[in-house]
Amino acid sequence: MNNKSQSIRVGLFFLLGLALAWITFESLNGGRLFKKPGYTLVAGFANLKGLKSGDEIRMAGVKVGAVQLTRLAGHRVEALLAIEPGVKIPSDAVASVEQSSLLGSNYLGVTFGTPGVELLKDGDEISTKATVDMSEVISQLGNLGSKLEQVVGEIGKSMGAGSDGGGIFQRLDKLVTDNGPKLTATISNLQDITAKIKTSEGTLGKLINEPKLHDDLLASVTEIKAAAADARTFMGDAKHIVADVKAGKGTLGLLLYDEPTSQSLKVSLNNLREVSAKLNSGQGTIGKLIADDSLYLSLQTTMKKADRALDGLGDQGPITAVGVVAGALF
Amino acid sequence: MNFLTAIIGHIGGTLLLLVDTLKHLPTLPRQRARFIEQCYLIGYTSLPIVTILSFFIGSVLALQSGYSMENFGAKQFIGTLVGLTMARELGPVMVAILIAGRVGSAITAELASMKVYQEIDALTTMNIPPERMLVLPRLAAIIVMMPVLAIIANLCGWYGGALVSQYTATIAVDSEAYFSALKAYMKPKDIMDGLVKAEVFGFVIILVCCYIGLNTRGGPREIGASVTKAVVTSLILILVLDYFVTKALLFS
Amino acid sequence: MSSSFTASPFVGKTFGVTVAHLTKTFGRTTVLKDVSLEVRPGEIFCIMGPSGSGKTVILKHMAGLETATSGEVKIGEFDAADPETRNKVHLALVFQAGALFNSLSVYDNLALYPREHRLCNEAGIRDRVMHALSILSLEKAAHKFPSDLSGGMKKRVAIARALVMEPQLLLYDEPTSELDPVMSATLTEIIATLREQTAVTSVVVTHDRDLAFAIADRIAFVMDGRIRGVGTPAEFKSPADPVIANFLNPVIDLKNPRFQQLENSHE
Repeated sequence: MNNKSQSIRVGLFFLLGLALAWITFESLNGGRLFKKPGYTLVAGFANLKGLKSGDEIRMAGVKVGAVQLTRLAGHRVEALLAIEPGVKIPSDAVASVEQSSLLGSNYLGVTFGTPGVELLKDGDEISTKATVDMSEVISQLGNLGSKLEQVVGEIGKSMGAGSDGGGIFQRLDKLVTDNGPKLTATISNLQDITAKIKTSEGTLGKLINEPKLHDDLLASVTEIKAAAADARTFMGDAKHIVADVKAGKGTLGLLLYDEPTSQSLKVSLNNLREVSAKLNSGQGTIGKLIADDSLYLSLQTTMKKADRALDGLGDQGPITAVGVVAGALF
Repeated sequence: MNFLTAIIGHIGGTLLLLVDTLKHLPTLPRQRARFIEQCYLIGYTSLPIVTILSFFIGSVLALQSGYSMENFGAKQFIGTLVGLTMARELGPVMVAILIAGRVGSAITAELASMKVYQEIDALTTMNIPPERMLVLPRLAAIIVMMPVLAIIANLCGWYGGALVSQYTATIAVDSEAYFSALKAYMKPKDIMDGLVKAEVFGFVIILVCCYIGLNTRGGPREIGASVTKAVVTSLILILVLDYFVTKALLFS
Repeated sequence: MSSSFTASPFVGKTFGVTVAHLTKTFGRTTVLKDVSLEVRPGEIFCIMGPSGSGKTVILKHMAGLETATSGEVKIGEFDAADPETRNKVHLALVFQAGALFNSLSVYDNLALYPREHRLCNEAGIRDRVMHALSILSLEKAAHKFPSDLSGGMKKRVAIARALVMEPQLLLYDEPTSELDPVMSATLTEIIATLREQTAVTSVVVTHDRDLAFAIADRIAFVMDGRIRGVGTPAEFKSPADPVIANFLNPVIDLKNPRFQQLENSHE
């Protein structure tokens, strides 16, 4: 073996190895042999919810980097985000921990922010948003159910459907006999209100008349909460009105002889009856919620959704298991 | 007890050989010719067998995992499995086993016969330390050549797996999906870990084979015995070290 | 590696060897038992004895290839067992089978020492090697490989390789074994000539009676790991010791064959 050709072969061989190594590293997610270029951002959270180093950072579902490091920093946790070079993140972009599957594989989602806003630079801190996780949503749903029940109970009491409010219409009758004219005005107000309820104006009306809302309820916990609060205030107002009637405010004499007034009173009463009938027959959201049966149904829907999600998991299960096994193996 | 002291003695002897060899490290530049010759013998001439073997290891891996992963409907992850297994485990271990069988045995045979035919003694009387002339170039060569062989083994294994995945009717994962699955879960660190492992194995094999060769006593019959001993020891060390090196790398 | 000696060949100090109460055991067998010798600078000292008597082991102690169980071996004032000694004394050992490097050509075998110790440049090395080869009439064998050489050639190459080292102490292990009588005579002449030209102390381990009587200044007899006697060749022409006499002039006695007594003679 000629010495020179030997050297040449060894040299070529070594260079081949270097080239292959370089290509391999280069092709692995744009990975580099040593420190990746690009830049680093800091994200502070109250709770990382299992986000760990190596997890992806996605912007609208596209991978833009990886979590480099997570660490405790005083009363919060910080994640160091290694962002790939060339990715522009405006300073008003918001980062949040998202779940890519129910089993708890996390990624860090970053919103687009507004174009034209100053971009984040190396070492800057990105603003963050806390997100709810699944168990929180479910427990809030439970709370909501019990609150609604309470509200409906109060309505029932005021309307005379309850146990101790039975005499309201008898008293009304007497009140009407006593206080005709005053009642006319009150009744017309009431008519307005009930008509609005019937035509589904206002929050309560919507709640009563649109079963569709039931679905929306599941969709947004915070909205439902707000609606419930509104409903409660409104019911409070209604109570006041009824109490006013009870207290005998308004003119009764006029009412008794005034034909149109008694007509409208009849209409109002009909409306009220309709409302309570609807409530009894379980129409509308509140109606559904009154009967345990409907609550159960809505819970069932929720469970179905959860089921479906779990089904999805079921499909993924072995894959993840294989992934875990493959990871654990080495 | 005797056996235990013998083993401890051999471990100590091997370490002393390493220390003695490292003492001569500054002489490496002027032993360039020997170093290149060893690179040629250890690296270049091992290339064909490394290529062929790792190609088939990758193929078999794809075939086997394709067969068993089909039950989970996880065929699309074959690339991940073959890729990680080759890079982290089978690539380095297979190359190490090949080196032990092909190069380690040759080194032991050569040094053992030099020892038996008193060439080593001749070197000693000529005031040329055998560690400097015989051990150092080989150790240096394996350090340079081992990562090259390991990365070639990785790539051949990956392509073997890709080919089998694509053209086996029961698997039928096309190579694009295969490589995207391979890339998805492969970190540069996985490759680096594999190369570090290969490096450790290669170094230990050559050191142990040199030690056993230089410590051959007796006649020509002992040359064969030494070669057997060297290969067996190398194989045991590869697999035992594999566990500890892997553990160290995973938790570092 | 501090080894720079004079470029002119075969000039310099030569060393004597002192062996004092040397005992060596391998496992349970004691090979050398309290051996004491003195080799004077510049002389040819032959160590004779039957096979297995331990004479080669003495030589290996002188070369620093073995360490004594007890006692000591000194080359000049240096301890032979100390590796540092080889930096101070250039000793060369001519092995029984030559111990040439089979992977190197004859030329490279000879050039290895000056190259490794960086004694001179390639041209200088070439001069040295060719000079040593010419002393032993080996110029034509320069580019052959050891496996192509006959036994006598191998020994001559081994001697040439020793000469390249410019030795201050030359040790020969059985230089004439396995050679025909003419080649044995040739090697005997070579050893004597080298000593004459360079005045190098030469220790020759041999059981070749002719060699010893022809060129030795003094002869030591080793039997069963002990020194049986030391003296000049003239003193051993008619030895008083019957064992030595029997070794030097064995009478072939078919009526009372020795092989039937061998079992008893070795312990």
